[in-house]
Amino acid sequence: MSAEEPSVADEVRTTVTVDTDRPWALAGLVAFWGWLLLRWTNDFLLPDGLAFPSDQSFVPAAPFATAAESLGATAASLGVAGAPLDVVAGLLGFVAGAIPSLPSLARGAWLTIVLTVAGIAFGFVLAVPLSVARVYGGRGLRWLSLSYTELIRGTPLLAQLFVLYFGLPLTQIIREVPGVGVGFVPATAVWVAIIGFTLNSAAYQAEYIRSALESVDAGQLTAARSIGLSKVDGIRYVVLPQGLRYAIPGWSNELVYLIKYSSLAAFITVRELFFQAESIANDTFRYTELFVLAALFYLALVVSASLLMNLVEDRTAIPGIGGKRQA
Amino acid sequence: MTLLRVEDVHKSYGDEEVLKGVSFEMDRGDVDVLMGPSGSGKSTMLRCINRLTEIDSGGIWLDGTPVYDPETDVNELRQDVGMVFQDFNLFAHLTALENITLGLKRVLGVPEAEATERAADHLAQVGLAAQADSYPAELSGGQQQRVGIARALAMEPKLMLFDEPTSALDPELVGEVVEVMRDLAERGMTMLVVSHEMGFARSAADDIHFLDSGRIVESGPPEQLFQRPEHDRTSEFLTGLQSNGH
Ligand SMILES: Nc1ncnc2c1ncn2[C@@H]1O[C@H](COP(=O)(O)OP(=O)(O)OP(=O)(O)O)[C@@H](O)[C@H]1O
Ligand SMILES: [Mg+2]
Repeated sequence: MSAEEPSVADEVRTTVTVDTDRPWALAGLVAFWGWLLLRWTNDFLLPDGLAFPSDQSFVPAAPFATAAESLGATAASLGVAGAPLDVVAGLLGFVAGAIPSLPSLARGAWLTIVLTVAGIAFGFVLAVPLSVARVYGGRGLRWLSLSYTELIRGTPLLAQLFVLYFGLPLTQIIREVPGVGVGFVPATAVWVAIIGFTLNSAAYQAEYIRSALESVDAGQLTAARSIGLSKVDGIRYVVLPQGLRYAIPGWSNELVYLIKYSSLAAFITVRELFFQAESIANDTFRYTELFVLAALFYLALVVSASLLMNLVEDRTAIPGIGGKRQA
Repeated sequence: MTLLRVEDVHKSYGDEEVLKGVSFEMDRGDVDVLMGPSGSGKSTMLRCINRLTEIDSGGIWLDGTPVYDPETDVNELRQDVGMVFQDFNLFAHLTALENITLGLKRVLGVPEAEATERAADHLAQVGLAAQADSYPAELSGGQQQRVGIARALAMEPKLMLFDEPTSALDPELVGEVVEVMRDLAERGMTMLVVSHEMGFARSAADDIHFLDSGRIVESGPPEQLFQRPEHDRTSEFLTGLQSNGH
């Protein structure tokens, strides 16, 4: 099977392992998601009259700024002994600087998640037939599937987004669709980004699923066929349920990768997390604060995704196949 | 009444001719055992019967139906031919019960409730009623093979093929599987068994076919083949088997 394997684009997508035994990390995540959900509910769902102003933080920044200032003054008066206080003052100053940008970042995080989830989900829908074609298809289908995955994996994601956004008449077509950009329906650029991530992720997921399918023992399909299942049904009811379980670790990697690479959508004007952080930074010149903050957001999303996938892996584990429950 | 007719079957893999004109017949209710050295083509012969492998020339008829006729639906044919594998090949992601219901539901279209009931009956017949919810990885080899037999039987086949059903088993587990097979033979199932289990062959087989390099060298009832083999190859092989502790 692997003779035809070209070595192009054998990118390694990194795994993030999460130590679930650290309660403070979990508490931080719970606080993060609690706040995000509150923010989204307030900004997107509550009618204007009832809602907290959507561009205003829940917590005012001023008290933190004042505290930082007075602590800083005290620290200065203490000389060398004031160094620890100075650190606290610095942190408070960071918080004070960060607070006003939180509403925008929450909105950006929403789009980041939308792009990631849509890319993974729609990509999966394409990846399954692609990988099945690759493993079980005839010569033509195998070639088609291989060409597609190599084309996508061999070219930069940013270039793919640019082709879709600037190079093809896709933007004009989507713009004409009634409802796009109104209310909850994402704007044109978001749709283009979703299409881009879907097409890209499909190729990577197809590779993960392909190698997972190949690790399913050939005797499984033989046995399925021996009871009279057609090849398609044998793949559907016997090979895929096993192969997809083997693919979960690769799939987790892909999810983490997509969360981070969704920031490329900023380059085609999608106002996701990175876009928001950068534009605020450009306005306020608080580059360090904003990018550290954005990094913390991405970290929280990535860690959450890994935890979720661990859970999925555990829940779908069957004795003898995948997961951590096997003896 | 002839259930299976194999006539002058040839099969090559590349340049290597694995079956060089094999012919034999089985009546309904017959139990035939196929023996022969490794690589002699036993597995290939079995797989040609349900078309997991395609023959090059010759013909096979099952209950009068030409197996290799273009009109014959392979999937329907396979429902009539149960197959039991050396390494069990139970569906690894399904419980013992689900291994049996899958075919009932997806091939025969039996409704869920009835499929479950029928599968439970089949499990009980091989003495595994209590293991219905166990996954293959949780079962011993002997138990897995009994589920494998039940899975094949559930399709109500006319013919059962066994490809070395006990050779992957620890010696102490062979007995339970042989017992199930003997029981099946007594209930009148037509069985073609590749096995070097002398005990089973002696007590259950109607005929033994000795296959060597793609040809049936000698056929006959166990007493004849074991006591008075006509060919040197046969007696050499049988002597080898006995000295290997089979
Ligand atoms: N799919 C295949 N492709 C190529 N050659 C094959 C294939 N299957 C079997 N062969 C070859 O055909 C010959 C007969 O194989 P077969 O499995 O039928 O023998 P066997 O009698 O069942 O042997 P064993 O006792 O080892 O199971 C062997 O030389 C084997 O290498
Ligand atoms: Mg064999």
